[in-house]
Amino acid sequence: MGTSVQVTPLSGVYGENPLCYLVAIDGFNLLMDCGWNDLFDPSLLQPLSRVAKSIDAVLISHPDILHLGALPYARKHFGLSAPVYATEPVYRLGLLTMYDHYLSRRQISDFDMFTLDDIDVAFQNVIRLKYSQNYHLSENGEGIVIAPHVAGHLLGGTIWKITKDGEDVVYAVDFNHRKERHLNGTVLESFVRPAVLITDAYNALNNQVYKRQRDQEFIDAILRVLRADGTVLLPVDTAGRVLELILILEQYWAQQHLSFPIFFLTNVASSTVEYVKSFLEWMSDSIAKSFEHTRDNAFLLKYVTLIINKSDLENYAGVPKVVLTSMASLEVGFSHDIFVELATDAKNIVLFTERGQFGTLARMLQVDPPPKAVKVTMSKRVPLVGDELKAYEEEQEKIKKEEAVKKASIVKVEEVRATSSHLSESTKGDSMVIDPASATASPKASSHFRGQMDILIDGFTPPSTSVAPMFPFFENTAEWDDFGEVINPDDYVIQEEDSNHMVGNGKSLDVKPDEASVHLLLDSTPSKVVSHELTVQVKCALLYMDFEGRSDGRSVKSIISHVAPLKLVLVHGSAEATEHLKMHCAKHVCPHVYAPQIEETIDVTSDLCAYKVQLSEKLMSNVLFRKMVENEISWMDSVAEKTNEKVFTLLPPPSAPPTHKSVLVGDLKLADFKQYLSTKGVQVEFAGGALKCGEHITVRKISDSSQKGGTGPQQIVIEGPLCEDYYKIRGHLYSQFYLL
Amino acid sequence: MASVVTGAQNKRPNPNSTSAAATREGDQLIITPLGAGNEVGRSCVYMSYKGKTVLFDCGIHPAYSGVAALPYFDEIDPSTIDVLLITHFHLDHAASLPYFLEKTNFRGRVFMTHSTKAIYRLLLSDYVKVSKVSVEDMLYDENDIVRSMDKIEVIDFHQTLEVNGIRFWCYTAGHVLGAAMFMVDIAGVRVLYTGDYSREEDRHLRAAEVPQFTPDICIIESTYGVQLHQPRPVREKRFTDVIHSTISQGGRVLIPAFALGRAQELLLILDEYWENHPELHNIPIYYASPLAKRCMAVYQTYINAMNDRIRTQFANSNPFDFKHISPLKSIENFDDVGPSVVMASPSGLQSGLSRQLFDKWCADKKNACVIPGYVVEGTLAKTIINEPKEVTLMNGLVAPLNMQVHYISFSAHADCAQTCGFLKELMPPHIVLVHGEANEMGRLKQKLVSQFADSNTKLYTPKNCQSVTMHFSSEKMAKVIGKLAEKVPETGESVSGLVVKKGFTYQIMAPDDLRVFSQLSTANVTQRITVPYTGAFEVIKYRLKQIYESVESPPVEETEVPTLIVHERVTIRHESDTYVVMQWSADPISDMVSDSVVAMILNIGREGPKVTPIEEKTQEEMERMARKVVHSLMVSLFGDAKFGEDGRLVITVDADVARLDIKSGEVECENQGLRERIKTAFGRMQGAIRPIPKP
Repeated sequence: MGTSVQVTPLSGVYGENPLCYLVAIDGFNLLMDCGWNDLFDPSLLQPLSRVAKSIDAVLISHPDILHLGALPYARKHFGLSAPVYATEPVYRLGLLTMYDHYLSRRQISDFDMFTLDDIDVAFQNVIRLKYSQNYHLSENGEGIVIAPHVAGHLLGGTIWKITKDGEDVVYAVDFNHRKERHLNGTVLESFVRPAVLITDAYNALNNQVYKRQRDQEFIDAILRVLRADGTVLLPVDTAGRVLELILILEQYWAQQHLSFPIFFLTNVASSTVEYVKSFLEWMSDSIAKSFEHTRDNAFLLKYVTLIINKSDLENYAGVPKVVLTSMASLEVGFSHDIFVELATDAKNIVLFTERGQFGTLARMLQVDPPPKAVKVTMSKRVPLVGDELKAYEEEQEKIKKEEAVKKASIVKVEEVRATSSHLSESTKGDSMVIDPASATASPKASSHFRGQMDILIDGFTPPSTSVAPMFPFFENTAEWDDFGEVINPDDYVIQEEDSNHMVGNGKSLDVKPDEASVHLLLDSTPSKVVSHELTVQVKCALLYMDFEGRSDGRSVKSIISHVAPLKLVLVHGSAEATEHLKMHCAKHVCPHVYAPQIEETIDVTSDLCAYKVQLSEKLMSNVLFRKMVENEISWMDSVAEKTNEKVFTLLPPPSAPPTHKSVLVGDLKLADFKQYLSTKGVQVEFAGGALKCGEHITVRKISDSSQKGGTGPQQIVIEGPLCEDYYKIRGHLYSQFYLL
Repeated sequence: MASVVTGAQNKRPNPNSTSAAATREGDQLIITPLGAGNEVGRSCVYMSYKGKTVLFDCGIHPAYSGVAALPYFDEIDPSTIDVLLITHFHLDHAASLPYFLEKTNFRGRVFMTHSTKAIYRLLLSDYVKVSKVSVEDMLYDENDIVRSMDKIEVIDFHQTLEVNGIRFWCYTAGHVLGAAMFMVDIAGVRVLYTGDYSREEDRHLRAAEVPQFTPDICIIESTYGVQLHQPRPVREKRFTDVIHSTISQGGRVLIPAFALGRAQELLLILDEYWENHPELHNIPIYYASPLAKRCMAVYQTYINAMNDRIRTQFANSNPFDFKHISPLKSIENFDDVGPSVVMASPSGLQSGLSRQLFDKWCADKKNACVIPGYVVEGTLAKTIINEPKEVTLMNGLVAPLNMQVHYISFSAHADCAQTCGFLKELMPPHIVLVHGEANEMGRLKQKLVSQFADSNTKLYTPKNCQSVTMHFSSEKMAKVIGKLAEKVPETGESVSGLVVKKGFTYQIMAPDDLRVFSQLSTANVTQRITVPYTGAFEVIKYRLKQIYESVESPPVEETEVPTLIVHERVTIRHESDTYVVMQWSADPISDMVSDSVVAMILNIGREGPKVTPIEEKTQEEMERMARKVVHSLMVSLFGDAKFGEDGRLVITVDADVARLDIKSGEVECENQGLRERIKTAFGRMQGAIRPIPKP
């Protein structure tokens, strides 16, 4: 009778692999999330490739790689063409996250899983929704209503509620019930008794310390290092949890008037913050309130400097500082390079705020005890300008092998060079977002390229006012439409590629992949990737603190039991955590708990029977409702009359109906009852799990009905000798219920 | 589906439904404008349906001051209002809100969009500061505004909220930043309140959306009546041409405009025009409004509430960072040396900076004044549109009006074409016109009447405090779920269960399922009571048998002690020589049975063991006695009653004759009423003379 619901995990069960699940509702295929991992391992997407074409809609929950990373690839290679639904921040920050990953990858490898163009195309058909907007799907999804709700984990993060015929399927992964600085807690608890709840077991075994205590420890750890002249490296995501960390630091720095510099370094740092500034309506009430009252945008950062180029850090080489930089996995990106620089000095600290993805450098460093040394691959993109330069470059490499610290900085010099070379050629109309910081920093870069740079920079004067890369001060007249830059696809065609790793793409270090980066990719000199392995002695301190912003195990359990779904599907979590939560929920929440394997289709169609009836006026005028919490309730006797094929009308019964077994409605809490009795002047105390009222009367609750989610009615026993008290207390007990 | 009665005073329920009048009372949907009924200003529309009450907007009338400017709040009881929805920040839509929240007994919830809330705060603070009224005339002060901020909740476009069973969401209205049209859904009846709206996309705002659902009632503005706007490019060209030609002749341009809303649109036009005309770069544009400067942060932040054009620009730079426009604090800071463009408030040229500049510039024919929007009757701006020869300055002197005056409206209200188009797409069965001068509204009504002549559309133009009443026959639908729904019933079969009503949705379910489908739960209360009794257990059994039909005593092996079960409800166990234990599950009948058993047991104790069994009567004797009793009771009730030949009791009341079969209880009688009465009486007699039957 009910709506048919099938769930098939495509990735991300019994483990921490990316999230990707297929939910079929009456034959309409919804893909819940489309994640990939930081290593972009195509083998993970095998199950998706088999079903991608049959998918009718994609719902994205969070703007990070684990939730949306595979979108461009799946679109390009698997023919995933369904419309994608996400909130505005998920769309925007997800796009920036993808750019950042692409650019970081591209800098160190001939990354060809997807291109910037693919990212843009994939995000082009994202339909953006607001929180609690009921969106009615059309065509073969007729009758299905999807609505995003606050998840509380990342900005714009969503728990999806999919409704058909009054039955709810709720997809809630990575939610956080705690209110944070920039986010409100999830509203998951307001959903009651959905037909199906799909949730993760990721944190089922973790319990958190108090937020305030944790924040203090976090600040203390950072300050200890700073005061000892060390550098703090926070490997973060591109546009997710980092926002919370930035606010924590901003707030503390403002309170204490600290002067240690803080840097937020990603390929898209300034765009990220600029967009985040316009997402106030998605943030917490307190942020909205402060803006309404004082028009202080919380993300108008005063202490955090946004940089998009690592060379900017060189001015602060020996200075104690905090660097927040992507990727959190330390696999690629600025964090990788900076880690290599910092690791050898015991003054420094690498402070992880989230668990590293499985198989990444971050994860290796998070084991206890931490490894003494790790092997890393240093890769960089080298332009090939003649054999001579090439030979020279290689020689440089050898020298640099001995001086790991210097190495990363030279990578940046390369980038500066690429920028400059582009500048000279850029024509009017595609004025780019110049990174003036890189221009000013260039004289400090190693001198090998200085001469060239002077030539290349000819014709371009960085604005003298632009000391810091402040986003709004640059103009760009490039055309943008709803989905980003209006581009000419030809610009993206890779020009040449030969066996010598020679590709037509240079690195791109632009803030936004706009016209400028398009040209940059095109114009820069042929380059190749040079890699070598080296062993880094890990002398710096390593610390992990949980700032993941997910509900911890205890809260997850209590939230699930409050939501009390009719059927529960568990995904995403280690095998151990999944089993643990499964056992727990089967015992305390509902008997139907499923934890399917990859590509195992489970049927969670509710065995619920239902049909619709029309209530006649005559009938309803005789029904007296009694109010209980949010509901009104009454007993009704009626006679059905078929009005047409499907609909019945209920009419009042022609004769007095037979008496029905009376029903006591209500939820008795012994503790509350005790209080109630004492206000009525009855002496009352707990004795051995029972409530002793007066001298002889006891009131008890029996067995499992005290547990949440138990299906039977509550069993309450009142006993005592025949006396006046007995009837008095029974009267009080009855007053706690509605008798129908 | 709905029958309609207009006019508050003589409303009568529909004649064909007199019996259902009581139930239909709740089905009346009442709409009463407390302001903006046949006028422009103090928008405030009251709506009530099924005991739920919604108030739309809470403005003041700009032409009045003090309490006179308020909507007619005393027509309603503010404490009954569930939800108050504010469409946008303009004074005539939001400015009486602090008063309503702080000075009345309103206890409901207030919603507006994020950007409206942010600007509301600034705008009203400014309003309180500049309105020059005596202290006792002040409706509220700064503190009231700050306090009101805590009570205001925010809603985002398309976000669906539910309060007390009232569901509502909002659409983009396109009038100013954050302007919303609210759709309210109460028990399936949808009401759309447009507030001020514009169907024309401009430089920064989206056009008003057309809701995907047709509302049952549309409450719509009628500011511009049957007027038509010129196409926007034409207006823009006129605007920029006037400015360009004036300054190229060395003149100065004054644009009196309200600080927020349309002014931002004009600034965008000017900034873009200057950008495209480098020759103008040495001509300064001033924007004299500290308030607007403060609000700029709001404009720069809520980019996502604007149109795609501006969002695309935002990707490159913030379009509200104007390159060619500088702020101007006051006339003292103004260096009036050559051609310039100044935008200043107030829009009506009543006083303030715009008036100061006007006085200074009006005599020079090189100068120009561009009036960019709706001007209120009675202001200088309205006067100069007619280009009089002379004007009176603020200092009382009369000066010649030589400067050119242009009226180019950029006010983002729908014109007649937009209104007609909008309504045509929606086709609401009921249209209520508000927010328009009586004449304009009347003309629009005529126009709409002819447009919707063939459809069943009803139009209303209520005056302030005049109610419009509509009836919506409510079809209550319920869903039968769970065990109760396992079998779909046929006609005539009974359906009995718990009805749970949440908001306006009904569910019918078996009591066992209550826990499954709602947060409510059921309980069983088992009662166990110890009654002192020293006599023989058999005596209890005997006594009970006299009263109850079903007294079972299961074999002792099963129960360990002698046990009696009365009507399968109450169990009595003889646990010791000194007491018996009674156990039953609480419900009214069992409680009653148990009480009688207790009373009986206690009586046995009192009477002592002397009770001896009387001989058991045979079935036949019982019947005979019953017959006798029934007969005598019938005689006492109806007078003439005697046994007929066929053994039936013949009862004659006046002319009516009834025959009662005592065995089966069937009554034969032509008079319906009498038959029912005899039946009832007989039923009661049976209950009294026989042991209580098993249910």
